[in-house]
Amino acid sequence: MPDRLAGTIAFFALTLLVGAIRAEPPRIDVAKLPPAAEKKVEFATEIQPLLKKNCFSCHGAEAQESGLRLDHKKRALDGGDHGKVIVPGKSAESRLVHLIAGLDAETGLMPPDGMGTPLTTAEIGLMRAWIDQGANWPDSAESSAGSDHWAFQPVKRHPLPRVGDPSWPSSPIDAFILARLEREKLHASPPAPRATLLRRIYLDLIGLLPAPEDVEAFANSPEPDAYERLVDRLLASPRFGERWGRYWLDEARYADSDGYEKDRPRPFAWRYRDWVINSLNADLPFDKFTIEQVAGDLLPGATLTQQTAVGFHRNTLHNTEGGIDPEEDRVKKTIDRTNTIGTVWLGLTLGCTQCHSHKYDPISQREYYAMYAFFNSIDEQDIDAPTSDQAVRLAADKEAHMKRLAELESILKEYEQNNLPAAQAAWEETASNAPASWKPLSVKSAQSARGATLTAEPDGTVLVSGTNENSDIYTVELSLPPGMYTAIRLEVLPDDKLPSKGPGRAPHGNFVLTRLSARVDAEVAFVAARADFSQDKCDVNLALNDNAGDFWAVVPQTGKRHVAVFDAKQPFGADSGTSLTLTLDQTYPNGAPHNIGKFRVWVTSVRLPAPLEGLPEGVAAALAVVKEQRTDEQRKTIADYYRTIDGELAKLTKAIADHMAKTPSLAADVKAQSVVQLEKPRTTNVLIRGDFLSPGDPVEAQTLSVLPARKSRGEKPDRLDLARWLVDPANPLTPRVAVNRIWQQLFGRGIVFTSDDFGKQGERPSHPELLDWLAADFVRESVDRRMANGENDNSTSSPYSPLTTHHSPAWELKRLIRRIVTTSTYRQSSALRPELVERDPENILLARQSRRRVESEIIRDLALSASGLLTNRIGGPSVRPPQPAEYASITYAGSASWKESTGADRYRRGMYTFFQRTSPYPMLMTFDTPDTNECAVRRMTSNTPLQALTLWNDPAFVEAAQSLGLRIVGQGSNLSSRERADFAFQVCLSRRPSEAELDDVLALHEAHLAVCRADEKGSSAIVGSQPLPPGVTTADAAAWIGVARALINLDEFITRD
Amino acid sequence: MADPMLLARRQFFTSSASGLGMLALASLLDQDGLLAAESPSNSPAPKSPHFAPQAKSCIFFLPEGAPSHIDLFDPKPKLQDLHQQKLPDSMTANVRFAFIKKETAVLWGSQRKFAKHGQCGMELSDFLPHLATCADDICLIRSMHTDAFNHHPAQLMMMSGVPRFGRPTMGSWLTYGLGSETENLPGYVVLTAGRGGSGGVSNWSSGFLPSTYQGILFRGQGEPVLNLASPPGVSRDLQQQNLEAIAKLNRHRLDEMHDPEIASRIASYELAFRMQAAAPELIDLSQESQKTLDMYGVDRPEPKGKGGRGSGPDVFKRFATNCLLARRLVERGVRFVTMVHASWDHHSNLDEELGYCSEMADQPLAALIKDLKQRGLLDSTLLVFAGEFGRTPLAENRGGVMPEKVGRDHHPFAFSVWMAGGGIKPGCIYGKTDEIGWAPIENPVHINDFHATILNLFGFDHKRLSVKYKGLNVRLTDQGGKVVNDLLA
Repeated sequence: MPDRLAGTIAFFALTLLVGAIRAEPPRIDVAKLPPAAEKKVEFATEIQPLLKKNCFSCHGAEAQESGLRLDHKKRALDGGDHGKVIVPGKSAESRLVHLIAGLDAETGLMPPDGMGTPLTTAEIGLMRAWIDQGANWPDSAESSAGSDHWAFQPVKRHPLPRVGDPSWPSSPIDAFILARLEREKLHASPPAPRATLLRRIYLDLIGLLPAPEDVEAFANSPEPDAYERLVDRLLASPRFGERWGRYWLDEARYADSDGYEKDRPRPFAWRYRDWVINSLNADLPFDKFTIEQVAGDLLPGATLTQQTAVGFHRNTLHNTEGGIDPEEDRVKKTIDRTNTIGTVWLGLTLGCTQCHSHKYDPISQREYYAMYAFFNSIDEQDIDAPTSDQAVRLAADKEAHMKRLAELESILKEYEQNNLPAAQAAWEETASNAPASWKPLSVKSAQSARGATLTAEPDGTVLVSGTNENSDIYTVELSLPPGMYTAIRLEVLPDDKLPSKGPGRAPHGNFVLTRLSARVDAEVAFVAARADFSQDKCDVNLALNDNAGDFWAVVPQTGKRHVAVFDAKQPFGADSGTSLTLTLDQTYPNGAPHNIGKFRVWVTSVRLPAPLEGLPEGVAAALAVVKEQRTDEQRKTIADYYRTIDGELAKLTKAIADHMAKTPSLAADVKAQSVVQLEKPRTTNVLIRGDFLSPGDPVEAQTLSVLPARKSRGEKPDRLDLARWLVDPANPLTPRVAVNRIWQQLFGRGIVFTSDDFGKQGERPSHPELLDWLAADFVRESVDRRMANGENDNSTSSPYSPLTTHHSPAWELKRLIRRIVTTSTYRQSSALRPELVERDPENILLARQSRRRVESEIIRDLALSASGLLTNRIGGPSVRPPQPAEYASITYAGSASWKESTGADRYRRGMYTFFQRTSPYPMLMTFDTPDTNECAVRRMTSNTPLQALTLWNDPAFVEAAQSLGLRIVGQGSNLSSRERADFAFQVCLSRRPSEAELDDVLALHEAHLAVCRADEKGSSAIVGSQPLPPGVTTADAAAWIGVARALINLDEFITRD
Repeated sequence: MADPMLLARRQFFTSSASGLGMLALASLLDQDGLLAAESPSNSPAPKSPHFAPQAKSCIFFLPEGAPSHIDLFDPKPKLQDLHQQKLPDSMTANVRFAFIKKETAVLWGSQRKFAKHGQCGMELSDFLPHLATCADDICLIRSMHTDAFNHHPAQLMMMSGVPRFGRPTMGSWLTYGLGSETENLPGYVVLTAGRGGSGGVSNWSSGFLPSTYQGILFRGQGEPVLNLASPPGVSRDLQQQNLEAIAKLNRHRLDEMHDPEIASRIASYELAFRMQAAAPELIDLSQESQKTLDMYGVDRPEPKGKGGRGSGPDVFKRFATNCLLARRLVERGVRFVTMVHASWDHHSNLDEELGYCSEMADQPLAALIKDLKQRGLLDSTLLVFAGEFGRTPLAENRGGVMPEKVGRDHHPFAFSVWMAGGGIKPGCIYGKTDEIGWAPIENPVHINDFHATILNLFGFDHKRLSVKYKGLNVRLTDQGGKVVNDLLA
């Protein structure tokens, strides 16, 4: 380091290093410690009461400041976020002692001011003695790791409450709701009008509008169970999987691109989405649904479907920004996977724990990383995932390919048997006459076009020295002995005098031969060239053309001898001997000189193709023996050699190689995103303050101690054990969290409002007994019991066979949903009653149904559904409906090129819209689709002027209004305006209009019509390019399109009442 | 503060976006006896902060990609002396670089000439001749540092206080906390020039707050707001008929269902209808004098073939226009304007490309300061220039063949930002870095501190402006932040 720099650096190096290196713990002056008691100390009678009195309020079951828990043996001895606090046998080194003695200046005295009284010298002495005596903590003094918090208690089946009005409840669920209402002196709302109920159940179960015929039929149905039958029909609709799959995709943070700066597309992410839709349609029980997504890859004999399911873990963000540390990104993903499991299945805010122990819930930072360890050995992998059609096609293609291969092989075999011997015999005729095939030529003169010095040696070599200009051309005149010749050989040679030993004069020893030409009286024409080695994309044949931009070169094989052979079209030479003039053009377009450094020229008279070298010694010797007297070995030597030079044989062999290169395979995008477990697992450490560069203590994979224990298959638990633990019926959180979310989707609010937080900071359930009743009813029979009965997770041939998988319908979503939507509670009117405005504005008690604006995707679906434009296809790749052209350009480097979908793909349901993380489809974002950067278990519902502008003016909705308007006028020419308005109302709102509403619609039509009649140009613009039904004027169509536009802009249109 | 889900339901009472409909809505609700359902704090916008604010609106320029502090704001003559010297290993041992190779890295002096400007003697580079004339109006902080190292996380850090997704950005916090004073424009507007940046829309996201508080991207071409124009053939007359019919039909439904969301929807449509007229008026610059247009440099010639990724068709014009639009937005009561231009990410060819970007920004930003001042708006408008981090005093030499085209790598340890107006101390030079601009050696300012200070200017105690989310009380300043009192006028 230069001296003058040293001084400059010194003063700020410190500032830099402070940030980079963790500070040493401050020195403790142990001399100030009170002495240890001099007697045998009993933990249970002397120490535990001390801890309980002074420490448990912050370091006990309900709170663990700094991750330290002193009421639980293992946790206490493990220590907290900052490491161990008890060193058995060494009280002077135990941080616990330092802290209670107030010697740790940074943390201060424990317990802190206001939290308790400091320990006396005698008490500290007892503590020291206990630690010095080995910190013996008998198991009999162990308390459980449990917590009193409601969510961690086992699910209980509570008896059904008594209600004052037994006529109202139509299910146990209603009893719980009504009992609470009666306690609050409230009454339930009347049932929703039949039309409202119909629209409600359509929107809730399939997210599409009922057709006017369905409205009519349901309104007039005499069947007492018409509603229940409708529910069953909708649950069986394949649209159910789309509607409910979209909820799950929020939780799975599904998107079609990576996120971050580069935001690359994920062209086959949709395979996971299809899995979700199919699984829900097949009612894959929620325990299996869970296991396959968390650990499908680890199931014995994991199917393609299960490997696709575990693509759940691939929905994380992925950073490919330049200069990123891949390990940092991997850690971020692993943290996201851990947090997502916490939120989606456990309803716990595990994410709070990645930097420090949970402030409110009994989860330490160490435990967080023990959960993290389950995901720490995931390796991302894209797997071949043919659909069944694609698999069939591939098999057929492969069969055809094998057939053709057999044909080619038989042609080869036939040639070898029938023609090869004759060809060899013919070759032997000439070859045996010319055993020493290549003759070196002596140099008469050698010139450089750019001033280099060419020095010829007696052995025919030419060494180049001196000036080394770019793109030199050498002209060499050689003596050609009498006779006719068939080929020329250029030999380039290494030499110590050349850079990197040559054979070229470029710094790394390379050269280029852009063109080789030869003259004997006339220009010699060449038909083919071959070399012992050619650089990639610099084949020696490129030296035969006139193109200055391509050439023969030899990187990386510099520093070695190479030969190139050039077969002449016609034999050349003369009886009397003559001259051969060779020109070596070394034009190099890219800068540095690439001239040849040392070379020699040879000729031959052998039959073409000329070999690179002369005949190998053994072959020449064998050929020298008279044919009939050759030994078997000599015959074999000749035959083997000949096989390497026979042209036809080479052609046939190459044909087979070419064919093999075309072996049918799946297209590159026929894949699914999946994960596998690393063979050698990564070590997991606590990450101090969540920083991936600051590993702390190592930890083993372990589930949360506050919840029931896990059953493991092997010695070390893995992700599959974790998945099974999540759905273990003893785990009280998973079923509560799952049913709560279903409830939330059907009432707009969960029984636990904070559906993402069942911890102490979350809200308590409004109806705790009901939540438990639903959870117990949902689980019914455990997966473990099924397993004990000899069924493994793959026991059914297809996970998608609907409803028939098991006799015991445990964990079934459809059954749970059916139970809820057939209650009196669900069927209530959603009108807000004046007394409820005061008493229960947020509708916690459910004295009515909730009104909810539907989700962004469903808004699109409703408009497409009302207009008749909707494409009915289910599943498949994402689509790109039109959006403003420059919208994608706000992404970095325009990574989101938005190639508009055409035809039916323009009209697919909202859930199939390609989700580009850095420039999401604007309409979706305007209506509150989550950004997908982390899991979202409930959506917001905003209400903004941008939403008004979207529904009013977005071309997609304008097009829907056009089609709906034309649908209205297309209902037959004899309909009155009143009848048309009635029809439009039924299509959009699934009900008949009131008289007042009808008047307003007709007034709008009249007003629009007057304007449209006066503005023909405007009217045709409104109608667009679609043909009008016969007898309809442009103005009338435009007016009805205006009416349609008003209807799809109504609050009621986008609301589930 | 309330849970975001409740906010979502109540946003019409708390947010600016619904501004104008407020009185009508309030009477509508009152009439239906529904107003009582809302808590008393939900008074019409604008709302009062914790104490009397200095600033009412903010114009925030984010030069995405991170400009070099060493070549613009923080002169380092010593670095010139050390030109092409290697750094000792002890210096780089614990440091990450995005692209530079530690073994071959050399220090690289700035080619810029610095001179003192104004009464305050602020040293600025010759790339900023116009800004130099405003030295006594601006406050330059040379001791900023950040936690994030890559563009996107660092931009999120700058805009939302943490280097992660999902948090509300500064403009969301301010519109959430203050409402806005415009009756027919969104409270939080975004203006871009040139190509997209790393952060995309996440740089103006409302995070977990309702989308009401999200920045609304005003577009460079076509209609200023997406879907602002009525469909082809639909005249203002027809649109108004439509509006009235929607309102009437919604009112029938409101009578039946009594849901205040329906009243909000009615108000939404009214505001949307007004925006249809107001936004085109906003971007119509025909009422601006030629003198004003010239001051901003709207029609300056644009250097061709320079600027690298930062350049593009009409980038100079676009940026100058954005500065002028920012003033017009603030005049009309918009609370927060984010201006974005990418890319200032000069890993190579620093002198030419930074020169281009500086030339693009210098004149219009200086004009904005002067224009706000002459209109009496500077006292209540905070103007901010802040990239996501700084750049290395070490050279980055991609390709290795063209020493005149070196650049600088990402540098989170130190960078410079400047502010003007809105109660910030004018003519102030704050903080100091070491002799090569590597790290702050005096008064370091973390991004959380920077945000705490800005919130203070707007009348907020940054620790009290919080929203409960996923078990945490989330703030713009995350877990940290302290107000830098020395920066307050």
